[in-house]
Amino acid sequence: MKAQSVLVSATLGVGLGTLLLPAAALAETTVSPATTPVGGTVVLTASCNPKSGDAIFHVTGPNRDQNVRSTTAAAGGGLSAELFTAGFTIGTYTVTATCGDGTSAGSATFAVTPIGGAAAGEGANADTTGLLAAGGTLVGAAAAGTLALVRRRRHASTLA
Amino acid sequence: MFPGHRTAAAAIALTGVTGLGLLAVGATRPPPRPPRPPAPAAADPATGQPATPAPPLPHANPTRVTIPAIDVRADLVPVAVTSTGELEVPPPDRPTIAGWYRLGVSPGEAGNAVIVGHVDSRDTGPAVFFDLGRLRPGDRIRVARADATEVTFAVDGVRSYPKTAFPADLVYGAGTVPRLRLITCGGRFDERERRYLDNVIVFATAVA
Repeated sequence: MKAQSVLVSATLGVGLGTLLLPAAALAETTVSPATTPVGGTVVLTASCNPKSGDAIFHVTGPNRDQNVRSTTAAAGGGLSAELFTAGFTIGTYTVTATCGDGTSAGSATFAVTPIGGAAAGEGANADTTGLLAAGGTLVGAAAAGTLALVRRRRHASTLA
Repeated sequence: MFPGHRTAAAAIALTGVTGLGLLAVGATRPPPRPPRPPAPAAADPATGQPATPAPPLPHANPTRVTIPAIDVRADLVPVAVTSTGELEVPPPDRPTIAGWYRLGVSPGEAGNAVIVGHVDSRDTGPAVFFDLGRLRPGDRIRVARADATEVTFAVDGVRSYPKTAFPADLVYGAGTVPRLRLITCGGRFDERERRYLDNVIVFATAVA
C-alpha cells in the first residue's frame, strides 16, 4: 500500500513536471546580436505569449535605464522589439523582460562596442640616415680627391 | 700620368662609386613592415578551449603584459574610445606601451579582455606589437594585475581582418571563460593615407 502511494506520487510528479516544462523553457530573453558597434540596432526577444499582451523590456546599463515595449511577434515565437543604440555609452547592458501577464521572461546582456578597428600604426619610415650619411661622405671625399688630383696635375704640367 | 696619380685616381673612383652606391641603397631602401600572420587554419581561434582553462578572477586593473615569444614587456595604460566612437590607442609618442580597453572586462575576468598596441611609429620605427603576427598557437602571454596576481593566457590563433570588416563580436564578446584579445595594425600599408588596412588580432584563453 505504501509502495503504491509512492508510485502514484512519483507518477503525478513526473506528469506535472512534463506539463510545466514547456512553460518554464519558454521563459527566455535573447538579444541579437549580442554585440553591436555604437549606433547599431539589436533585436530584443522575449518568449512571451502574444495573447497576454505586450512585453516590456527593461534596459539598464552605463547611461541607460529605460523601458522598451514589444512591437512585433517574433518569427520563432514570442515578442520582439528593436533597440537603436545611437547615443549609448559603450559598455555592457542588461535586458530584463516582463510578459503582458506580469510574468518574468528572464534576462540577457548585450555589449555596445567601439566602431570599427583600431588605428594602431603610422607606418615606419626606412632608417636610412646612416647609409645616406656614409654615401654622402664618400662622394664628397671622392670629389675633393678629384679636385686635388686635377690641381696637382696642372701644377706638375706648369713646372714642366 | 705618373703611376702614383693612377693609383690615386683609382682610389678616388672606387670611393665615389661606393658612395653613390650607398646613396642609391639609402634612397630606395623599403621601410620595415610587420610580419603577417599565417593563413587561417580551419579551427576557429575565437573559441579555443584549453584542457584546463583557468577559473575567472575578480576585477583588477592590468599593469603589464609580457610575451616571451616575441620579447615584449610593456606597461599598460587604460584606454577607452575616441570622440568618434573608435577604439582608443595609446599616445603615438609612447609606442612602447600598450592600452587596456577599460570599458570591457579586465584580463582574468570572465569574458574577453582587450589590449591594443601600436605596430609601428613614423618617427621611431617598430613599436610594442610589431611582431604580433609571429605568435603561434600555444605561445604564452602573461598579464600582471594591480591585485598582485598574474594571469597566463595561451594563444589560440592569430588572424588578420580588414578594418572594414572588424569582428567586434569575436573581440568584445562576453562569456564564462577568461579570454584575451591583442589588437594591432597590419596588412597592406596605404602610403597615401599613411594607415594600415587591416587589424591583426591575437585570440588567447587563460590557462591554469
